Amino acid sequence: MDINILRDMFPVLLKGSLITLELTLISVVLGSLLGMVTALLKLSKNKLVVTVAGFYTWLFRGTPMLLQLFVLYYGLPYIGIKFTPFQAAVIGLSLNSGAYMGEIIRGGILSVDKGQFEACKSLGFTYFHTMKRVILPQTFKIIIPSVGNEFITMLKDTSLVSTIAMVEIMRSAQLLYASSFRPMEAFFITGCLYLFMTTIFTTVFSYYEKRLSVY
Amino acid sequence: MYIIETKNLTKKFGSLTVFEGLNVAVKKGEVLVIIGPSGSGKSTFLRCLNHLEEPDKGEVFIEGEKLNVKNKKHMRNTIEKVGMVFQNFNLFPHMTVLQNVMEAPITVKHESKAEVLKRAEVIIEKVGLKEKLKNYPSKLSGGQKQRVAIARALAMTPDIMLFDEPTSALDPELVGEVLGVMRDLAKEGMTMVVVTHEMGFAKEVADRVIFMDGGKIVEEGTPEEFFTSPKKQRTKEFLNKIP
Repeated sequence: MDINILRDMFPVLLKGSLITLELTLISVVLGSLLGMVTALLKLSKNKLVVTVAGFYTWLFRGTPMLLQLFVLYYGLPYIGIKFTPFQAAVIGLSLNSGAYMGEIIRGGILSVDKGQFEACKSLGFTYFHTMKRVILPQTFKIIIPSVGNEFITMLKDTSLVSTIAMVEIMRSAQLLYASSFRPMEAFFITGCLYLFMTTIFTTVFSYYEKRLSVY
Repeated sequence: MYIIETKNLTKKFGSLTVFEGLNVAVKKGEVLVIIGPSGSGKSTFLRCLNHLEEPDKGEVFIEGEKLNVKNKKHMRNTIEKVGMVFQNFNLFPHMTVLQNVMEAPITVKHESKAEVLKRAEVIIEKVGLKEKLKNYPSKLSGGQKQRVAIARALAMTPDIMLFDEPTSALDPELVGEVLGVMRDLAKEGMTMVVVTHEMGFAKEVADRVIFMDGGKIVEEGTPEEFFTSPKKQRTKEFLNKIP
């Protein structure tokens, strides 16, 4: 490996990694909101709502993300819906993340002691307040390790959007090695940057895990 | 007028009938103790009084207001007046003692924080946990947890308190402190319905005792009548087996 080539490639890949971070954060935040809604719908008593939410998770967990991204970016233009690579990437990643987060959150809610719901009911809480004040704060503590896992998976899965012309870190690496014929340098830096990002997330999540274990 | 009244109350779990056609009425300020063997339906009956279990038939009236499943808001407002204490405490584990007690009045009744804080401190002192205000439930003993649970219910200034085997999950040594708090409450004139196995408490504090078995009220009466001269054979058998 040539140190000069590493030095030349680094700024390009760093820029790509910022796009990767941006995509990850947006998708996981949107995915969490979507997942929260999905989880609550799946736990509702209304059969229709349960079916719709179930269909969504079934579809997005049951097909490869690559296929979902291809449909969004290459497929939909044929029926008149056009997205920029960034839009397609965010939509695809969020929908996929939402399906997984939905199951994580649903599992978390189900593992909160049933007595908590009863205590709330006996005190006159509405469903909304029961969830907001009592159930979800406890759910959050339970699911933090799984959410951390999902975050890291998502960060790495953003590499798939390189196939729909979205220039993030993986795509930058491919472009660099194709133009320079120096794959080892490009992939070495890319690997380091991925490790750096996942390490940051892991650290942040274990910090929160510790902070929430006061009770 | 009765403060609690059930009319023809019936509860089934699938094909199993827990109890059928129960008519019970409680007067304001009365302490009613329900005893009976496990599976007699006493806890389920108590849980029907604030609709933690939906009865299959019959009605519950709280202060003359009929609990109606279809009118959720009215039901919540009515249930607010009924405090409940559970066997397993069901404290909010992510909140301190003080937060546990303050939560419902602020969230449900939208009372001002300052006002609730004043009241909460008085109530917590009353149950003897003044020095535990900032502790999380996980740092408390069973008896302390149950006293917090009582304080949490009292913070809603209920007219009625329901106790579902409040001492059954406690170490024998810790039963006394919880019964003590309940005794004080009874003295203050709180209307109480207590499902318990503590016969000593029933003898001393109850105004009336109901003995349930197999989903039926076998016998009821004042503690004197009930414990010294039970009329029914089944009651005698039950009381004889208790040390």
